[in-house]
Amino acid sequence: MIDSSASAAADLLLKEAWLLDRKNWPDWLGLYAVDARYWAPAWLNEYDYVSDPETQVSLIYHTDRDQLQERISRIQSRKSITALPLPRTVHIVSNVLIVGSDAEGIDVTASFVVHVFDPRTAREHCHFGHYEYRLKRAAGELSIAAKKIILANDRVPTIIDFYTL
Amino acid sequence: MKLENQMAMLLTDRAEDGNFEISRNVFTDPSIFALEQKYIFEALWTFVGLDTQIPKANDFLTTHIGSQPILLTRKSDGSIGCFLNTCRHRGTVVCPFKRGRQKFHVCRYHGWAYDSDGRNTAVTDRDDGQYPADFDGMDRNLIPVAKLASYRGLIFASLSPDVPPLEEYLGDAATFIDLIVDQSPVGQVEFVPGDVTYTFDANWKLQFENGLDYYHFNSTHSSYVDILKKRAEKSSGDLPQEAASEQEGQGSFSFKHGHAVNWSIKRVSRYARPLSSDPDNFRAVTEKVGAERVKWMMRQRNLTIFPNLQLIDISSSQLRTWRPLSADKTEMTSHCIAPVGESSESRRLRIRNYEDFFNPSGLATSDDNVMYEFCQSGYAAAGGSTLGYLRGLGSARIAQGPHAAELGIEPDEYAFGAPGFGGETNFHAGYREWYRILSEAASK
Repeated sequence: MIDSSASAAADLLLKEAWLLDRKNWPDWLGLYAVDARYWAPAWLNEYDYVSDPETQVSLIYHTDRDQLQERISRIQSRKSITALPLPRTVHIVSNVLIVGSDAEGIDVTASFVVHVFDPRTAREHCHFGHYEYRLKRAAGELSIAAKKIILANDRVPTIIDFYTL
Repeated sequence: MKLENQMAMLLTDRAEDGNFEISRNVFTDPSIFALEQKYIFEALWTFVGLDTQIPKANDFLTTHIGSQPILLTRKSDGSIGCFLNTCRHRGTVVCPFKRGRQKFHVCRYHGWAYDSDGRNTAVTDRDDGQYPADFDGMDRNLIPVAKLASYRGLIFASLSPDVPPLEEYLGDAATFIDLIVDQSPVGQVEFVPGDVTYTFDANWKLQFENGLDYYHFNSTHSSYVDILKKRAEKSSGDLPQEAASEQEGQGSFSFKHGHAVNWSIKRVSRYARPLSSDPDNFRAVTEKVGAERVKWMMRQRNLTIFPNLQLIDISSSQLRTWRPLSADKTEMTSHCIAPVGESSESRRLRIRNYEDFFNPSGLATSDDNVMYEFCQSGYAAAGGSTLGYLRGLGSARIAQGPHAAELGIEPDEYAFGAPGFGGETNFHAGYREWYRILSEAASK
């Protein structure tokens, strides 16, 4: 069971990347539990990043899926200039490691590079860092209970959003 | 053509005749950028940090003034030091870290050491150096900035000695710093930990304008407005309200030295505010400063201190500064500035609202950043001057109002209009100051 769990967990990470790159927002959101925590902490200094989102600033901190839906709706409304046009993204997710497993779920870490090409300006960026996931089991399926995104290169070029992280 | 004559073509200031024009070149010309660096960003009062960032002796942080690396320290006697972060030996950056606490800063290149007072305390192998006879008489201490002062815990530095005293420079714009600092039960402000730095590929003056621009809010941020509306439908909480006797509208004050502030009076706020979410502190602040001041604290205010500081107090509170990297690239540093001593509930609301609105990873500021880039691209078109600085110059302008008197200030200029006013005369003070400084520089 451990092996198939591990492979299911890794697949989920890659599936998330696939859905984001194809801009399939509804199915992407469907990977998340309703009360999922989505957290990209800010950095405190060269080495330490924020540990307490209640008293420290994060780049993104959401505690339920509705807040991710807000971001999706903002893009779909075509009212935000940040998404007119949307950039092309290629998420590379690698170094996937199962670091914990119990009856409730699986803890997974990974590295990421998101290649972003902005056709508006013919400009490219890479956003890279680490992911820490808590995946939860329910009725034989895995869903994302929590995702932490530690962005290594946090001097943000103009904009970042859920689809470039 | 002589630069002086070129300068004259950059700005047309005939506000009394209803005209104010700015040439596109001011956003794109590298020689203007060079003049700005020398005569504006490296010659005027610049915000460098908060008192509360360096509370204890030997605390330090590093930053920039223009392109010059700066070291800010808490000296051994409790006062503040601010130095050029460059070793006197061969110029290496002495302190490579963003912040910390160190009794000595040792240059890793050849080991010269400095203390928090900026004094050179060690020259490696001094006696074996066969130094010339006058070496000992040479000043080897870190070079201090020309002027250093603070106002209500905001520390400013100037690389040029030719600046008026800080309080004179701020003038009545300081009242709008007070309106933030006095929300603290102990009259102090701090940065919420967590740094956000971002860039945009456009000229710094687009940020300068945008911070004073109410006209763009409903269009640029329409997606954010939609989100706020949906949230208000779902929530049961009361949103802050203005008294029925207050006239709704948007207004601005402009001050000497290029500062300006926008403010907005709305019957019902779009969002909860941290100050009123803490009834105990709200009561304490009201007792301390009076209901009139608290009324102003609850109003949206967007302050720009020329040349590169903005303090915004809306759903949350932000202090942001900018550092132009080139005519078409700007670096922003943004902090959530917060009253020391507010409740943890207020602080949590302040942080969440800050993340929503002010982060480049949020729901609003990123729209501004992308828009600046579209402006910068648009400026490449040989389209002549724009029509962008005219709102408020008409004969219907409102010349009088109660607002300045309520605050006890005497601004150079005042504007007030309907909620849809979107005034543009509040850009004029900054551009006039910009023009005055660069014209003088160009004539040298």
